[in-house]
Parts: sequence; structure tokens; C-alpha cells
Amino acid sequence: MEEILPRLKGMLKDATVISSDATKFEITITIVKNINGNVAEPDEIIVMLKMYGGLREDIPMEINIDNDTQSILLKFQNEEDFKKVAKIMETLWDNAVDMLTSAIEGDISRIKDIPDIDD
Amino acid sequence: MTDPKAIENNPFKELGEIPEKKYPNGYTVDSTYITIRDGVKIAITLCFPKGLASDTKIPTVLTQTRYWRAMELRIPFRWILDSMVPNAPNPEVVTSRGYALIYTDVRGTGASDGTRIVPFSEEEIKDGSDVVDWIISQPWSDGNVVSKGISYTGITAQLFPKNNHHAIKAVIPGHACWDPYTEIAFPGGCFEYAFMQLWSFLGKNLDLNNPKVFRQIRPEAWLLVKGVERVSSDKDLKLLQIAINQHKSNQYVYDHTLSRDFRDDNLPDGTIFDDISIFARKEKIEKSNVPILAWCSWLDSGFGDAIIKRFMNLSNPQIAILGDWSHGAGYPANQFFPERTFVTPTPKDKVNAWINFFDKCVYGDGIQGKIIYYYTLAEEKWKKSEVWPPKGHSYQKWYFSENYSIIREEPKENIGSDDYKVNFRATTGRNNRWWALLGLPITYYNRNKIDEKLLCYTSQPFESDTEITGQIIACLYISSTHEDGTIFAYFEDVDENGKVTYITDGEFRPLHRKILTDEPPYKILIPYHSYKKDDSAPIIPGEIMEVKFGLHATSVLIKKGHRIKIAIAGADKDTFIRYPNEGRPTITISRNKEFPSYIELPIIKKE
Repeated sequence: MEEILPRLKGMLKDATVISSDATKFEITITIVKNINGNVAEPDEIIVMLKMYGGLREDIPMEINIDNDTQSILLKFQNEEDFKKVAKIMETLWDNAVDMLTSAIEGDISRIKDIPDIDD
Repeated sequence: MTDPKAIENNPFKELGEIPEKKYPNGYTVDSTYITIRDGVKIAITLCFPKGLASDTKIPTVLTQTRYWRAMELRIPFRWILDSMVPNAPNPEVVTSRGYALIYTDVRGTGASDGTRIVPFSEEEIKDGSDVVDWIISQPWSDGNVVSKGISYTGITAQLFPKNNHHAIKAVIPGHACWDPYTEIAFPGGCFEYAFMQLWSFLGKNLDLNNPKVFRQIRPEAWLLVKGVERVSSDKDLKLLQIAINQHKSNQYVYDHTLSRDFRDDNLPDGTIFDDISIFARKEKIEKSNVPILAWCSWLDSGFGDAIIKRFMNLSNPQIAILGDWSHGAGYPANQFFPERTFVTPTPKDKVNAWINFFDKCVYGDGIQGKIIYYYTLAEEKWKKSEVWPPKGHSYQKWYFSENYSIIREEPKENIGSDDYKVNFRATTGRNNRWWALLGLPITYYNRNKIDEKLLCYTSQPFESDTEITGQIIACLYISSTHEDGTIFAYFEDVDENGKVTYITDGEFRPLHRKILTDEPPYKILIPYHSYKKDDSAPIIPGEIMEVKFGLHATSVLIKKGHRIKIAIAGADKDTFIRYPNEGRPTITISRNKEFPSYIELPIIKKE
């Protein structure tokens, strides 16, 4: 795992396209790399935002997953919620990899703040 | 780290160089369920070399685990990484060498159906045979199956030949036990609560597919891992959920052992410890004559002793290797060189050595006879022997003496003893040989400071280099103020500057002090204690008793000018349960003409 860490951020950015529509309060994550199995379960999206993105509140959102197009559509009820998650998405992949790298190196300070996520 | 310059007798060199890859273009991965004899579905993951022609048949490496055969990753990592297979051999190395690789969740674990009451059960062993039947019925199989693993998967590999299946050609049990009572759960009859509790906690959470268990133990795994990997056809996770529901009836060793003391106490399904041990299956393993390559470390729990017991007791063609690393060789563990940062050989070098062994057994003439390779600490050399103990072996007694010394001469005085009020805060910490079973590093640092809480006896400087290889025997004449207790004996090196280095230790509950003259269940080189209820007896307060037991095996060079030290404790609070559970005993170690406490060192004289 250690040998692949330096490349993980680039791999995530190459494998995904994130787009947003501020008028419709929608964020779309498209996995452009061909993957086996389902893209995700809806609860995994929430876990991802809380675990790696620092989301600490329950934001209502509609989650639509299309396994054929490998896309995840997040629809929010208002601009404020949309902007919060859009901001998280800007650095989500970098945060995820940084947290993993720190944990592998023995630094768990960033993990301590993660709430008890219902897996 | 094993000194890379120590090439002579290095088993990883002697097991062959790295050959060319037969299939260098990667591998395919798939998973499925096999329905075995009683209807239980066993989840398997299969890796095949890419580029394998449809009419080519290949042998199979099988690994059977209770720790999730493969892990499904969390998003977003799952989108870019293959599932993690931490408990299996490296798929890239194995498949490139022309083997299929299959790893399974044993019944009652992972994505497999069923329930489990005890580990290493007869059912679990037979399941391996059913899996082999499936493997050799596949069009790609050449009819040969080998097995390897580390820790639990090493034990399943060790037990695999008991099936006497014609297809099983060789096994590599790495860091595997022989006698789980004395090597894991009750070393010296003392309940090792820390590992038993944590291992049971880990098992329970894994079996319920709960990755939260990793948050404290392996936080990087918690960040990455969602749970056990489903079988690929189980798109809606229904089969996985059925399996997990069945696992809710599982039972765990900590609950079985917490209130027990003796080797012959019943486990819930009516078995006793011996029934789930390797030695109880010795006859059938030997009958298979399957070649064995067993490897481990001097510093890993009681598993280093298991390598020697297996070597002495199984007639199977055998290679045994004892190095200086942690459980599974994830970390260097040589206490003489704590600054070392990596283990030699590398994981890839090891796997190639293992595959060379398998090649010999599948395609060649196999191996003949037995040989054991062992690494001598401080000397930093590999040695090898066809017998155990090695040639040149003899015992040398060192007697406890006045002024907290230990000398070669027997005491001549009629009086002489030392008192020690047990300090129940004494500890070897949470990175000792027992916690190492959880995959943690091994560090016995600050021995100078820790010994301040203990009763210590130190020799004069040695006049010449002396190799000690085997199990040191402690013979203590002690009395106690209480009816129960534990003796911990730490054997240490003291250099010219006074720095103390841990070498090995032993622990013993005097309740079990009776030495039997009956033939033990397997050959040993230390006093035979049965650890059975009928042979036990409480301490009689104030009465001197002989307490004689073996420390865990080691190989070390005490250099000229260095001293040896034996440190006595009555507790190791972070690992072993305290005996007695109330009160604070004072133990008295006698060191006089009538009751001459001593240790016996297994010395190897060079030819």
C-alpha cells in the first residue's frame, strides 16, 4: 500500500469527473474508469462525506446512483446545503488520501474527530 | 532485520533464486461459493494468471482464513484499487509463477455460511478437503493443491494434510502453533487474557461484518475497508446477509477460557484444548507424509517453541526456519538492534522461496529428511541442523547466589534466600511477544528501568563468546505467603556499559508444579507438566516447593565481556491475568545448599 500512496490522488482525479449545477443544486460524480460491481450504495456516499470530508451535520439530499453510466447524482434542497457539499468535494480526494497516509504513518489525530459512523 | 550480510546458511538463499516469471501479465480475479458436504456455502476468491491457455492445467495454492479472505474497500478507494487480500499470499507473485491462488473464508466467517464454536475444529479441517475436491474437478486444475498461510491461515495449512487427500502435495505453516494451550492461551498455565480478549473481540466483529473493530487496532484499515468482500454474484448482498445472520450463533475463545484454568477443562462443545491442537492430529498428519516448510520467529508468542516441537515430533519431510522478526515478519524484532527498520528477506523474496518449495514438491522430487535453520541473535548468523537440539549441545547450571548474583558454583552455605514482594504494576507493556500476535511490533525496551521492579540476579562477565540455543530451564525453590501466584523469569544480556537487552522469558503458575514421569503427549526437552486439574495443587503458604519450568526457546550469543541476568517477577499486568486475584504475595527464593535455585542454559559448543 505504501508504494502506491504517492499516486493515489492522481488516480482518483483521473478516475472521476465531478460536475455541479448551482441553479439546480446538483452535484454529479461520474466514475470514468470501468469498474466491476455497483458504483456505490447510497449510505456509502454519506459515510464518504463524513469520514473524509469532515461533514458533521445531517444534510438532506437525494442520492441517485446509475450503475450503467457509473454516475452518482446528489440533489440538495437549498443553495446553502449545495455549497457546503460542493466545498467538501473540492478537496475530498486529497483529504481522503492524506488521512490514509497519516494513519499508515501512525498519526491518527485526524481520525479522532470522525463521529461514530453507522457502517 | 536479519543482517543481510549473514548469507551463509541463509534459508532464503538456499531455497533458491528468483526464477523468471511464467505469466508476467497480471492476473484475473473472481469469486464464487462452493457448496460443501453439509450444504454450507464456502466463499472463495480465485486468481488466475492472465494469458493462461484454455488447455493448460496448473496447480493451486490454497489459503483458508477466518479473517476475511478479501476486503471490500470503501468508496472512493474501491473505484481505483483492487480489493485487499491481507491474509493471502501476494496474488501477483503466485500467479506469475504459474499457480492458481484460491483463498477461502472458513465456515462461520467472512462471507461463508455456517457457525463456529471453536477454532481449528474437525469440521473446519474437513471443509478443506471438500474445497480440494472442488478444485481438482475444475478444468484448469492439474490435480495438485498446496497450502500456505501465516498465523490462523498457517494453522489451517498445518492441519490441511490431516485430510490425507491425494491432491495435497505440500504445506507452509507460517507462525503457527502446535499446542494452543501452552503457546497462546495459557503459557505456563497462566491465562493470557489480553490477546484472548482482543482476538475474540476482533473475531466477533469480523464475523458480524463490522469494520469498526479496526478503528482502534488498525486505523488505516478502518479508513480503507468497508467489510468482507461479497462473492461477485451476490449483487444485492442477500447471501452475505444470510451468512452474517448465521454467524450470530458463533462462540468465542475468550468466553470459553476466562473461567477456566486447566488443559482438560471442557469447552462448550464438549471438546478440550487438546482436541483442537495440532499435536492431537499428529498421527494423521504424519500418515499423509506431506512435506512441510514451517517458519517463525524466536520472539513470537509461544510459536517459536512450536517450530521446534513440530520438528521433533513430526516425521514428515520438513524444513523449519526460526528468524528474528515479529509475528508474520511485518517488523524486525531483534532486541539487540532496535534501530533496524525493515525485515530481511522482503515479502517478495519470501514468497518466491515458498513457491520454489512448492515447485519442488509439485513438479520435482520434493524434499527429503528434516532440516532446521535458526538465527542466532547478537551473533547475527544463520545456522542449520538436521537434529534438535543441535550437535554440541549440553546443559550448564548457573546457581542463584548472594548479592543478587548468579554463578557456576553450587551454594555451600546452609542459609541463603531473597524475598520479593510481588509488584502487580510490573509489565512488559503492549508490544511484547504476546501482543505481537495481533500483528504489532515487538519492543522490550528500557529493561534497565523495568528490572528495578523485579528481583534480579546477574553474572560476572563471560570469559568467552557463548552460544545459548534451545530452552533455558529455571529450577526455583520458592515459598509464598499466598496459595496462588505466577513466576515470570526474564533472561537478559547485560553489555559492558550495563545496557540490558531482553532475550527471552518464561512464565509459570506454581499450581501446576508437579512434574510427571509419564510420557508427555509429544516430545519436549523441558519438565513435563500436564496442566490438568488432577495434577494441580495450591501453594502451601510458607512451604518451600520446587518450581521447574522451561523458558521460551531462543538462540543467542553471549559475547565475551557480557553478563547474563535473570529477572524474576510475579505479574505482567498488561498481558496476563493476576494470580492471586487479591492480596500481594511475598515470594522467597531459596539459594542454599539444600534448596539451590538455578537455571540451566542449553550451551552449544562449537566443534
